[in-house]
Amino acid sequence: MSATLKPYLSAVRHTLTAAMCLEDFSSQRVERHNKPEVEVRSNKELLLTPVVISRNDKERVLIESSINSVRISISVKQADEIEKILCKKFMRFMMMRAENFIVLRRKPVDGYDISFLITNFHTEQMYKHKLVDFVINFMEEIDKEISEMKLAVNARARIVSEEFLKRF
Amino acid sequence: MILLEINNRLVEETLTLKIKNAQAGLKNESIDVTVADFDGVLYHISNVNGDKSKIRVSIALKFYKELQEHGADELLKREYGSFLTSPEDNFNVSLVLNLEDIPKNWPEVVKKFGLLKRNCFASVFEKYFDFQEKGDEGQKRAVINYRDDETLYVEAKSDRVTVVFSTRFRDENDVVIGKVFMQELKEGLRASHTAPPVLFSHREPPRELQNTNAVVDNNVGYVTFVLFPRHTARNTRDNTINLIHMFRHYLHYHIKCSKAYIHSRMRAKTSEFLKVLNRARPENKTTDKKTITGRTFIRRD
Amino acid sequence: MSVQYRFGTTIAPITCHAWNKNKNQIAISPNNQEVHIYEKSGSEWKIIDNLSQHDLRVLGIDWAPNTNRIVTCSADRNAYVWNQDSNKKWKPTLVLLRINRAATCVKWSPDENKFAVGSGARLVSVCYFESENDWWVSKHIKKPLRSTVTTLDWHPNNSLLVVGSTDFKVRVFSAHIKDIEKNPEPTPWGSKTTLGTLLAEFSNSGGSSGGGWVQSVSFSPDGNKICWVAHDSTINVADASTGNATFKLRTEFLPFMSCTWITNNSIVAAGHSCIPVLFHHTENGLVYSAKLDTSQKKESGGLSAMKMFHSLDKQARSESSDTSIHSIHQNAITCICLYSGTKSNCMKFSTSGLDGLLVIWDINSLERAIQGLKII
Repeated sequence: MSATLKPYLSAVRHTLTAAMCLEDFSSQRVERHNKPEVEVRSNKELLLTPVVISRNDKERVLIESSINSVRISISVKQADEIEKILCKKFMRFMMMRAENFIVLRRKPVDGYDISFLITNFHTEQMYKHKLVDFVINFMEEIDKEISEMKLAVNARARIVSEEFLKRF
Repeated sequence: MILLEINNRLVEETLTLKIKNAQAGLKNESIDVTVADFDGVLYHISNVNGDKSKIRVSIALKFYKELQEHGADELLKREYGSFLTSPEDNFNVSLVLNLEDIPKNWPEVVKKFGLLKRNCFASVFEKYFDFQEKGDEGQKRAVINYRDDETLYVEAKSDRVTVVFSTRFRDENDVVIGKVFMQELKEGLRASHTAPPVLFSHREPPRELQNTNAVVDNNVGYVTFVLFPRHTARNTRDNTINLIHMFRHYLHYHIKCSKAYIHSRMRAKTSEFLKVLNRARPENKTTDKKTITGRTFIRRD
Repeated sequence: MSVQYRFGTTIAPITCHAWNKNKNQIAISPNNQEVHIYEKSGSEWKIIDNLSQHDLRVLGIDWAPNTNRIVTCSADRNAYVWNQDSNKKWKPTLVLLRINRAATCVKWSPDENKFAVGSGARLVSVCYFESENDWWVSKHIKKPLRSTVTTLDWHPNNSLLVVGSTDFKVRVFSAHIKDIEKNPEPTPWGSKTTLGTLLAEFSNSGGSSGGGWVQSVSFSPDGNKICWVAHDSTINVADASTGNATFKLRTEFLPFMSCTWITNNSIVAAGHSCIPVLFHHTENGLVYSAKLDTSQKKESGGLSAMKMFHSLDKQARSESSDTSIHSIHQNAITCICLYSGTKSNCMKFSTSGLDGLLVIWDINSLERAIQGLKII
């Protein structure tokens, strides 16, 4: 783990722990409805100040919290074109499976690659500290996975071209 | 399988089976098989006028006319000689194999039949290799539209033959992966001293093709091979042709493989993420499970 | 020190709970539209009734000890008063709340002749029984509530109500119903008794230092003090006998969801940190006293091969132990109720939370076990 990753993740972990204090809250606008306030934004009293934690200009996390829901948007490191498409593909792949990944938002918030929407219904079904662990684990793994995939593509390209040119 | 086969295995296997059956004295069955190959090529294997002992192999290439200009007919005559017959309707070339008169060297003949497409292609290369050999620089560039909006250009100079492929990538992601491959091809020269230099240009055609109708498009890439006399010499040219004419498919095949690999990795990682998310779910306290006989199943852990 | 119970095989959160007078029965809502009544038999809890009249999540339950009536309120905008019929079955009576948003919290008054329901309709319905019509009717306290009412509590004199809401305010109202009761004695909070009179208002947003919606309020046993906890992780006390002096204590804990006085000077609060915490209020101010949960990291039992493969398969993890945090409750505590004693002299209190666990805490044995802990 590099020198800046650890403090970055630990800042995210603590912010998430504080932001994920959610409770059940019925809509003030529409009777018998219960909607994530961070999405409907019906009353600014119910929203907390959003927090951005950045490791550098590319990698950052936006944490928007409200009384019954928290939205976590992650911008993943993309150093070059290939990492960019790998990231795009991967995020799309995951978001298409959002119904399995119940805490995943189907569309990322503008300016970010992927967003999670965690509501009080999720914190009721699942342990909150484990949900925090999941987000942190996701952030750790996603960078690793993308660079590994990039290496794999490069390695294949090298072997393929060498193999081809060798035959001449 | 890193390199693609240049022959058509299905054609070969079909013919081999026929010949073996015929040699074993089995009754000849009628046949009507259509096989697809790269570049939109179609093979049709059938009987001539219902005669079960005569097997006709026909090939249809959309760009055969362009190949004919570069002496495809002559080359095929040289390669196939007496097997050639008048082309079947809607096909460009037809070969006939008579099961009642199987040549002694039939495995070689079958092999040759399988290389029909390759041999059609070969004409244009051989012609320009000859130009180079003779130092004939005056010839105009050959243009073969081997696929819809993908083109092959061949040009001879006294010291080299340049082969340019234009290739279209289906989406932007393919362009990016393609670029990675091309970058490696460029650098691949270091790995092999005998290999031809490879140039790649994305979007814009290379200098030789400027002021032609070569497409400028974000999804188009141009690959240039510079073939030196050591590649076009009589004893190496067959090998060069084999490699060069399959290059486009080789590249796209491996782009697809890379994408498939990426996809499988994403699938694996996603299911791993799901498992990590599962850790957050409290484990349900034991619910009664009944066996099929109605007894309660107790898990001992 | 503490006793833990789990009801049925469910692992669903307990939204809220309430005890009957003898503490041998408990009403809990398993995070849905039902209220389950459990009775203790031996060391087991057996379900004896299921109150299913609401059609959305139940948000509040209160059990009147002496008149033995249960009141429930829910996100479906309704409240029901439940009475036991001759077969010991609970029968509902609808309350005319006249609200069009969720009913979020409910409390019987100390005399049990009325109860108050807070709601998302930015008002409090004070409900009482109208005997000539044979139903429960309500009067509204509206002004100046600006947002969802999240919590309320009765003054011991049966006529004052403290109300906390998501507009970051705590307010003390008169909830006197002159149709059914005599004028109460004046209190330090004021002498006006008209229903809906605002007697005091405290803001939980301290200027630039942010603030937060109010999660829970409680009147002290003598009725002169209120304490509240809010989403900015603070605990606050306001004292009417000293001119509404307020004390705010910012804590290191995650926000508290519930608080109650356990003596006239001690408060227990619990919430997202999953542990109950004790605070003292004296003339010098409000001070943190101790965490009441002293659980250590649990030793993990031996690891069976079965368990290991199970956790590898489901959770992609090779060790099986680290699911728990170092407290009894594994998720936020949402509700604190007194179990034995009163607010002025509480012996045991109970907590329930999102982890579906109910824990009864014995204050006397805690006082002995935790070094330096003194209930004053």
